[in-house]
Amino acid sequence: MATLAAMGMNSPMASLLAGSNNPIAQRAASADTVILLWMAGGMAHTETFDPKRYTPYEKGMEGNRVLSTFKSVPTKLDGIHFSEGLEGIGGVMDKGTLIRSYVAADLGHILHTRHQYNWHTCYEPPQTVAAPHMGAWIAKELGPKNPVIPAFIDIGQRFTVGEGEELKAFHSAGFLGNEFGPFFIPDPSQGLDSVRPPVGMNMKRFEGRNKLYNDLISKSPFGDFGSDYQKESLRRSMEQAYILLNSPESKAFNLSSEPKESYDIYNTGRFGLGCLLARRLTEQGARFISVTTEYEPFFGFDTHENGHTRMVGMKKQIDGPVSQLIKDLDKTGHLDRTLVIVASEFSRDMMVEGRPDQTVKEQVNQPEILNDMKFYGMHRHFTDGCSILMFGGGIKRGHVYGKTADERPCKTIENPVKIAGIHQTMYHALGIKADTQYEIEKRPFYTTPDGKGQVVKDVLIEA
Amino acid sequence: MPSARTCSPCLGNTKRETYYNNFSVQTSTELITFLGRLHPLIVHFPLSLLWVVFLLEVISWRQSSHQFKPAIHLMLWVVSISALLAVAFGLILSNQDDYTGSTVVWHQWSGIATLVLTALALLAFKADETKSYRALLLLSVFGVTFAGHYGAMLTHGDDYLSSAWNSEIAKDSTSVVPKIDIKKLQGDINVDQKEALAIEARSILTKHCTNCHGTKKVKGKLRLDELKYVLKGGENGDALIIGHPEKSDIIHRIKLPASHDDAMPTKGKRLTKAEIEVLETWIKQGAPWPNSPNTTRPLALPEEKEKDLAVANDLPTGPVPAAFQEGENALASPAVQLLNTNQVDELNIKVRTILAHNCYSCHNATKTKGKLRLDKKELLFKGGESGPILVAGYPEKSDIIHRVKLPEGHDDAMPTKGKRLTKEDIALLEFWIKQGAPWPTGPEKSLYRVATLEPRLPNLPSANAQAQKPIDLFVDQYFKKNKIAWKKPVDDATYIRRVYLDVQGLLPNPQAIQSFISDKRANKRELLVQSLLSDNSAYAQHWFSFWNDALRNDYSGTGYITGGRFGISKWLYGSLKNNKSYDQFVKELINPNKESEGFIKGIKWRGTINSSQSTEMQAAQNVAQVFLGLNLKCASCHDSFISDWKLDDAYAFANVFADQTLEIHKCDLPTGRMAGRGVLYNSLGKIKETPITADRLVQLADILVQKKNGRLYRTLVNRVWAQLMGRGIVEPVDVMDNEPWSQDLLDYLAYDFANNGSDMKRLMFQILTSKTYQLPTVGFKEVSMLTASNYVFKGMTKRRLTAEQFADAVSQSFFPLYSDSALAVKMLPADIKKDIPFARAALVKNDPFLTALGRPNRETVSTSRTSQANLLQALELTNGVKFNYTLNTGAKIWVAKYSSSDALVNALYRQALGRNPSSREMELAIRYLGKKPSIEGVQDFVWAITLLPEFQLII
Repeated sequence: MATLAAMGMNSPMASLLAGSNNPIAQRAASADTVILLWMAGGMAHTETFDPKRYTPYEKGMEGNRVLSTFKSVPTKLDGIHFSEGLEGIGGVMDKGTLIRSYVAADLGHILHTRHQYNWHTCYEPPQTVAAPHMGAWIAKELGPKNPVIPAFIDIGQRFTVGEGEELKAFHSAGFLGNEFGPFFIPDPSQGLDSVRPPVGMNMKRFEGRNKLYNDLISKSPFGDFGSDYQKESLRRSMEQAYILLNSPESKAFNLSSEPKESYDIYNTGRFGLGCLLARRLTEQGARFISVTTEYEPFFGFDTHENGHTRMVGMKKQIDGPVSQLIKDLDKTGHLDRTLVIVASEFSRDMMVEGRPDQTVKEQVNQPEILNDMKFYGMHRHFTDGCSILMFGGGIKRGHVYGKTADERPCKTIENPVKIAGIHQTMYHALGIKADTQYEIEKRPFYTTPDGKGQVVKDVLIEA
Repeated sequence: MPSARTCSPCLGNTKRETYYNNFSVQTSTELITFLGRLHPLIVHFPLSLLWVVFLLEVISWRQSSHQFKPAIHLMLWVVSISALLAVAFGLILSNQDDYTGSTVVWHQWSGIATLVLTALALLAFKADETKSYRALLLLSVFGVTFAGHYGAMLTHGDDYLSSAWNSEIAKDSTSVVPKIDIKKLQGDINVDQKEALAIEARSILTKHCTNCHGTKKVKGKLRLDELKYVLKGGENGDALIIGHPEKSDIIHRIKLPASHDDAMPTKGKRLTKAEIEVLETWIKQGAPWPNSPNTTRPLALPEEKEKDLAVANDLPTGPVPAAFQEGENALASPAVQLLNTNQVDELNIKVRTILAHNCYSCHNATKTKGKLRLDKKELLFKGGESGPILVAGYPEKSDIIHRVKLPEGHDDAMPTKGKRLTKEDIALLEFWIKQGAPWPTGPEKSLYRVATLEPRLPNLPSANAQAQKPIDLFVDQYFKKNKIAWKKPVDDATYIRRVYLDVQGLLPNPQAIQSFISDKRANKRELLVQSLLSDNSAYAQHWFSFWNDALRNDYSGTGYITGGRFGISKWLYGSLKNNKSYDQFVKELINPNKESEGFIKGIKWRGTINSSQSTEMQAAQNVAQVFLGLNLKCASCHDSFISDWKLDDAYAFANVFADQTLEIHKCDLPTGRMAGRGVLYNSLGKIKETPITADRLVQLADILVQKKNGRLYRTLVNRVWAQLMGRGIVEPVDVMDNEPWSQDLLDYLAYDFANNGSDMKRLMFQILTSKTYQLPTVGFKEVSMLTASNYVFKGMTKRRLTAEQFADAVSQSFFPLYSDSALAVKMLPADIKKDIPFARAALVKNDPFLTALGRPNRETVSTSRTSQANLLQALELTNGVKFNYTLNTGAKIWVAKYSSSDALVNALYRQALGRNPSSREMELAIRYLGKKPSIEGVQDFVWAITLLPEFQLII
């Protein structure tokens, strides 16, 4: 059998494989692939990448005194500290940029899924037309990098959790059409199942079944009824699915073929294995991969109590895999053309909910005086200062951008960046024009609302 | 002898002469200036003396006497010398002052000709060549008269004489110019008032200013004959500051005392107080300009004269778009082609359409990049911060043309976003500017097609051999017009599969197919449709999905978790099952009960949302889209630039649903204005004001379902037609202002539907039993061909099974995809399980399998589904858990039931495809399955069968 990529390019399927009519970037790109590492549930900047004064827990202490519940530890960058437990990521900061001034949208009532919708689509829900996920925009504009790897892969999110419907609302290609939607791998350790013949079917049988299908079509009297787009697209798509499921690249989905020592570093749970899968797929030519710690109300980073204790666990989950992913990609040279983004929908604080000077409905009950360890942690939603990490794909190495205040409220005081800026920076790196748009219901719909948002040029090597 | 017309160029100049005499001559430049300005004085000598000589010569000729000879001799000398001086001074003057245009050229050469003629006349006189002398004298008189006339025109204006001569026209022209009341033109004024003000202001400028500041003379480099020049100003800078008469130089100068050096006009009458007030108001109101270049004095400029002017303007030539190449007024002139009123209208609409599609989004009231707006005439001509965007008559000097032609990526290139303009678009804009950028007077015509609201019953074409039923009669008429021949109706097997899937969403079982085929009754197709429609439950279960999509009703989705959304499934199921009349159906959704309120209640997200997504606005948008085929989404944020709908219209409609009066928000910013109330189409009636929302909704429901609201019924019949025929009579089905392929058919169906109890099943029966429905299907290579403007109806469009039809077909012919436990029982009627043959896909929560096959997430209204396959869908079908589980489980049962592959294959073909396998197919099957079927073999075989186009498509 000829190599699959070549087959794809030369067959009539090419157009489908490319997935887009304008696959060629319209300006020079510094990145071909994006990996979004999603810290779902609101990750406190003061407990991770932007630590403030540490105040250890004492019974009866004033909550207002607490800015961080962890010690600060040095990173590879002079004068830049991370929160204790993130030494691994701190150790690779010479390979990327730390943005300390992300300001999340002000959507009033703080709701994780609304902010996540906003983060991933750049639009505030609800919308009159279904807004596409950033991965779908990239799939539409650039198509798959390797024709047999789906262009938009989403690892780790299940939709059976609370607010599952709200999650579905943005894990979608929206009006761009299902063709550009996410290929879901809820459990990375089961990734292979998504791209191999159905469970219980060996390759020989899989090939036989496909042959039977093609034979039956050629023998069917229905063939006489002329051609039409429904029939043609069905045949093309079935053929394509067959090629993908039969391809050597699909082995990348098989984590058990990873050397044990490497596997063990990544294996901190589903998120860690998701990072490993993302690395393996990147090496085979993935276009956009999202790996999430998974959003589930009151789990993960969504710490409404026991914040400090829970953060210890969350850091263990992310520190090793994220830093190893950067190291591995750097070692193989893939980091040069792969943009890795670590982000969350908003930050947290012990006392302030939403924006400073703003009261928000249904905020977490947090006492002024802490008489129980379970109140020691960042339990309220904070939108005015958040941290984002970016590595590779044309991003400066060893750079810090923006600043937050050292006293409460620890909000952005320098170089604020909003979501449209993040999207445009990513699209810029990928060579996707800032004013990319499609007409839906006769009006233009842009990648960012009205095409707005400035590229954060300061984080790019070549702006 | 046109003596009266050659009179007194001096009168207007007396004042100037004294004025000039006050100059102290200091330098030679000033001497030259002084001499130049003596021209108007000198010219009177040759002019008057030549006439006197001529008079004396006539007397001498009549009396055959020589008594005047010495006097004539002297006078001819004076004439010749003064003519020489006049020509010399005149040439000096024309180089000093900014005289341009053809008048000065005529004047100059006729003056020079007169000089030559008089000199020759003098020579002939001295040589006693009497005949030659008399002829030359006569010519000189003509020459001097001619030159004098043009000189007068330069000084006093073109119509100086004619306006006095033709008192009737003069009177009319004043009466045409509206006697406007300036007091009423302060503050906000409407379009008509603006136009009146513009006409008045321009008349004043023409009367007092354009002689020196126009096409012929451009004193101080200022022109006041076109808005773009007015705004450009002259060598002293801006002539006016829009909005600020007190800062405007033009006002300052016309108010100065006549003796002041800067006072204007320097010639002719001063402006009256009333005229100055008009100009002040005009500047305050943004200096509007009349809608047409020629409306200053409509009656004073009859068509003949317009032609002359157009020719005189010497507009450049260029290629002419085909549509404008022929016209009643087409001139042979190579300069420009004159357009008639209709052509001007058409050209203008085309230009505005180009601007609307390519430019409005950044240059409109909402977003005004570069301070330029292109959506309003006067603002377009005003230009933006970089100045005027066009020079009428000169596309090559027009910034707009320059910019749209720049290569993409150039800093100044336009548009900066979206597609570049096509060559045709640019050519049209150039042509329009070359034509002087004409803009018709009166209210602007809509750029958009707007469908008629009222119902209409077209005459039924007469029956013939091909067609008897109404639908077929209209289609027959359409076919004849488009030279399409009727094809043979499809066979019974194809027909029964179609109608089963269209009415009940199910496959016909093999027994039903067999008995239908062997049925010999002539009306068996009608009987079949009747019996299918009479199965109320099966009908409801199929059409449920269509209405769930449209009314964005689902069993799960955003909003439910926080009580911000309500399902209407029970009400909808019952309404379909009882075949509720459509008017009642609509009324219950708009003026809802507890069970049906979910539709207008919308989806409420927690937190702050964009004001265009308030639940009231959602109701307005969704009611407009679903029931009226109308897009209000743009207008709910700002005045639409894809239709004529305004922000205020959308808010007035949304406000009907609002408990508290809505404040109008433009692009999510409060305007401080409160919404009115209205139902989009005034002719449908008004909502009586009441604080109680429910009372307003009662009224709204009644207003919308009136029979005179033809749009409501057209929208529905078109939706049903599209469902049954694969493409609407109007497409897209949500844009009912688009042109139908047959207006008569659409109107007839809607009228008939509204006047027969708005019975949806009756409508379906008509369509399903028509000969039209029974035509063979038409396949399209590209999905875009369905909506292309050159679409021609030839029969039903090929369709693919929907997610629900496919799932149900698998369930029916092989093994149920869903068990009863998958049913969304809580949201559905209590006895739903008794009502269904198996767990139908329409009644289960959405899942990855149905999503992959195209069931929409019903967050927004969805009125059509794509039937194009894609990779993610194919992957779901190839190794998706749900489908493979079903195939595996079902295979076990089939293997237990059929011991031989033969029997199994026969049964499967009959169940799934409604026919027996051919021998070749059987051969293939046996080769794969062996004589005795295995579970795996059957699983694979069924998989292949269900993915055959024959199974997947409706033909």
